[in-house]
Amino acid sequence: MKIRNLFLLAASVLLIGRAACAVTDDASTQLKSWIDEVIAASNHSKDRETLRINESPILERSINFTIMTRRAVGPGWRQFTPEQQQEATKLFSTLIIRTYVAKITPGEIPSITLKSGNSPSPGHVEVPTSLLYKGSHYDVTYRLEFTDGWHITDVVIEGVSLIANYRTQFEAEFQQGGATAVLKALNHSVESKE
Amino acid sequence: MRIHTACLLILTLAASVLPSGNNCFASSPDSKSNQVVQGAKNNGNSPVAAEDDLDEYKDTAKIADPLQPVNRGIFWVNDRIYHWILKPISKTYDTVLPKPVRTGIFNVFDNVEFPIRFVNNLLQGNFHRSGQEAQKFGINTTVGLAGILRVSDRFPSLVDVPRADTGQTFAKWGIGHGCYIVLPLFGPKSLRDTVGLAGDYALDPVSWLFLINPHAAWTLAITTPDSARSLHDRLNTYDSITQNSLDPYLAARSAYVQNRKKVSSQ
Repeated sequence: MKIRNLFLLAASVLLIGRAACAVTDDASTQLKSWIDEVIAASNHSKDRETLRINESPILERSINFTIMTRRAVGPGWRQFTPEQQQEATKLFSTLIIRTYVAKITPGEIPSITLKSGNSPSPGHVEVPTSLLYKGSHYDVTYRLEFTDGWHITDVVIEGVSLIANYRTQFEAEFQQGGATAVLKALNHSVESKE
Repeated sequence: MRIHTACLLILTLAASVLPSGNNCFASSPDSKSNQVVQGAKNNGNSPVAAEDDLDEYKDTAKIADPLQPVNRGIFWVNDRIYHWILKPISKTYDTVLPKPVRTGIFNVFDNVEFPIRFVNNLLQGNFHRSGQEAQKFGINTTVGLAGILRVSDRFPSLVDVPRADTGQTFAKWGIGHGCYIVLPLFGPKSLRDTVGLAGDYALDPVSWLFLINPHAAWTLAITTPDSARSLHDRLNTYDSITQNSLDPYLAARSAYVQNRKKVSSQ
């Protein structure tokens, strides 16, 4: 009977391992399809404005900007009214899309290699990738979460998390003047670069 | 006995919803550690709870910054120097020299900096990486024509060997950052990495030229391309971090701390 238990335990561990790997595979496959879409859109863009128009729908579909914004703001998010939360999310997504588009040269194709993903906790998957762009090599890790499907919730470039980077800045603004100060700073940043 | 077997099965299944450490579940070193995910029924593909994660990135980029007013002043001056002086120099360098020449110059100086990586890997007790660096240096110096060609990239075991520096060695020895400092021209550093910079300087053969004869024309002729070759990447990184930021100073500080954390964990 002991042998049977041992066999059962081993089989369960194997099954769970396979299930977890399937989860990371799902997320990786989804990420790969978005990356392919982004590259294809870049190929079909003749200038930066066309690139922004082509890339925006893909980024809006693949990134969960609501999660990104609330985590970038931190606990102060609870003191935002629903309208302020909505406005902050909209402004932040504009900023992120613009940052992303600014780094891409239309027609210049990056080489991206997806490595084996891992799941630090249920519903969360991290997919490390190796990016070769314009002769420079970067380690980029995509953090995905399962909400109503898989979505990107953070991008970590050479160890620098996009959310953590904005968190430091939002925190300082929030401490100075609450939600109003955060929105003002966001508005200023969006308007000044237009 | 059936109950025993059922309990065993339940326990095993319960373990599957907790963060684990095998290859497929390996946990990230930083942000996820303080995360609390609600919902024990979450089997890996169900929605993540929404209200549990606001403090997730709280301590990701913390560093003491008691000199902030002075640092901000130096940061402002550096920013002007970057935009008004260094950027035009970098653009001229990129325009005048064709890419293969720039790549060759980059490779030569990167190869010459071998002692920094070799010695620091030794000091960290990472003899395998020291060996890899020695192999890279040997191959690139001989077959790669004094380092102009990075022939070592053709050997899979010698591609992407993580870089080592003195600040990283101090971090591996358990020395903390100390306070944050913005150095004129060099930009963001911690106290630990500023001392580390001196160590890197001492181990860099190019800087030895200044000890031999700081005023000689050939010293300048050799060190100028060394400075110019890294300028493009440094300015590009600076732009990526500060453009579209709410506060460029805080953005640069956060990026510096996070990047050094990654470097120290390699």
